[in-house]
Amino acid sequence: MTHEAATTSQPFIMDTTFWTATIIFLLAYALIISEKVHKTVVAIFAAALMLVLKILEQREAFHTEAFGIDWNVIFLLLSMMIIINLMKPTGFFEYIAIKSAKLGKGEPMRIMTIFAIVTAILSALLDNVTTVLLLAPVTLLIADALEVDPIPFLIAEALASNIGGTATLIGDPPNIMIASKAKFDFMSFIYNLTPAIIVIMAAFLFVLKIMFGKKLHVRPELKQRILEMDEKEAIKDPLMLKKSLFVLSIVIIGFVLHGTFNYEPATVALFGAGLLLLLSGTHEPHHVLAEIEWPTIFFFMGLFIIIGGVVKVGLIKWMSLEVLAITHGNMFATSMLIMWFSAFASAFVDNIPYVATMNPLIIDMAKQIWPHLQGIQLLHNPELMPVWWSLALGACLGGNGTAIGASANVIVVGLAERAGKKISFIRFMAYGMPVMIITVFISTIYVWLRYYVLKI
Amino acid sequence: MKAKDIMEPVKETLTPETTLKEAVNRMRVARRGNGRVGVKGMIVLDNGKLAGIVSIKDILKTIIPSYMNLTELGEFTWDGMLEEMAKKVADRKVEEIMTKDVITVSEDASLMECADHVVKHNLQRIPVLNKEKQVVGIVYIRDIYYAIVQALFDKLDKEERK
Repeated sequence: MTHEAATTSQPFIMDTTFWTATIIFLLAYALIISEKVHKTVVAIFAAALMLVLKILEQREAFHTEAFGIDWNVIFLLLSMMIIINLMKPTGFFEYIAIKSAKLGKGEPMRIMTIFAIVTAILSALLDNVTTVLLLAPVTLLIADALEVDPIPFLIAEALASNIGGTATLIGDPPNIMIASKAKFDFMSFIYNLTPAIIVIMAAFLFVLKIMFGKKLHVRPELKQRILEMDEKEAIKDPLMLKKSLFVLSIVIIGFVLHGTFNYEPATVALFGAGLLLLLSGTHEPHHVLAEIEWPTIFFFMGLFIIIGGVVKVGLIKWMSLEVLAITHGNMFATSMLIMWFSAFASAFVDNIPYVATMNPLIIDMAKQIWPHLQGIQLLHNPELMPVWWSLALGACLGGNGTAIGASANVIVVGLAERAGKKISFIRFMAYGMPVMIITVFISTIYVWLRYYVLKI
Repeated sequence: MKAKDIMEPVKETLTPETTLKEAVNRMRVARRGNGRVGVKGMIVLDNGKLAGIVSIKDILKTIIPSYMNLTELGEFTWDGMLEEMAKKVADRKVEEIMTKDVITVSEDASLMECADHVVKHNLQRIPVLNKEKQVVGIVYIRDIYYAIVQALFDKLDKEERK
């Protein structure tokens, strides 16, 4: 904290260091967007450059909150991945999916609705990619059983997962990053974002019905195939399932209470991961740990260092001044600008580097407006709060816009292609973009009504 | 003994353009060795060069939907699904379903080399290539095993004679 305060008082100078850092940052982001080099490779190399060229000291990159790796984000992600890796083989997710299809009584529209709701809820508690990756295979099987086109189901699931993920602190990486940087607890997200997502979800289900309702018809005898499935057969390891659900409950309760007891979310998740590893009785943690999404983890670490570099040289501060020049310090205008810009930006580029850049930008902006405030008083300034929520809503819901907007979309398109059903960029966008615009529009009304009219 | 001593000549082959349905038919009516009907694998030649190999396992892999590899869904499949899926992929080309990285041996390869490949790569048959890289025969797991049987019985016979 002291470090952060010290840097803001330093005026930034556009010297060689400034331009070197800026060029590394721009080239890295351009390469990530171009997809010519794997994003993790770009992030690691650019981060190393920031250190080699002494833009950032290694100590700053590894050990400071202001410029360094956000270990809270890293350990939260790692821990949740460990818990899910241990849970996957139990068959829990297949059980849920088959059960949902049976609840839908083999009616395609009902199944799609139930799947969308289940996907949204699971995505709010686990990461979106995992949720989609676990539910999509069952979805493809159900579509084959009913002899219907699986693409509407898969697209509905990807969209639902991005919507559901927006609801909580742990639902989507942008929220994890915002929470860590702006020091929000789990309940702040429940209190501020979940109500919006419930309304958005209802609207989304209605949109799904309009989009796909008339297209999906099934011969009655095929429904029998679904009804004959026995979801209990999906459970491979009942004992481990009980242990997993026990630990998952503890973790969720821990998230609900972490603010009250002054624990960081990563502490709660790490405790869950450690406990479940212990309870699993494994002597070979190698496998569980090897299955961690290491490229994602290293992507985050690299990004944090790159951002640390450009924060230190003042690029982010300069950008925040530009934003202020556009909005003239009007916080409602800032919220709206950030929400809509974030939505369209996230539809086309990875929302993780985007939010990693926006977080310090918003903090720098706040420092300009309220120079006398610092720490929580600055971060949680009532006028600043809607800006954070607008960033979360825009960046998360924006992911629905295109096939490359969110990891869940990329996964779904990939799985469909492997199943011989190509989803073109345009076809995804034909469904995703309207959903994105409608949901961000609802968010606009929500933020305006709640924070600027009702002020609650 | 070497690969060329136990290999069987190649009677029938597929081309990359053959459809899966046609491949199944060719394998069904092909004759091999002692004349038993049907073979469980066939090599694919593209302009005389070895392009791949198709086994009944490759055909099964094509018929099983890709999503079933991602998780355990076997219990939730239905009667008639396999047959339905088979009809769906009947028009796929051999080049899409064949194993492209084929393990081969030279004519002078030792039987130990053949046995090593069979076990390491879980193979049923190994195409034998001459110096011009043309397929001159196929070594089957059964024939490698037969060399072992001969070796052991030969030895037993000698011991019995003593």
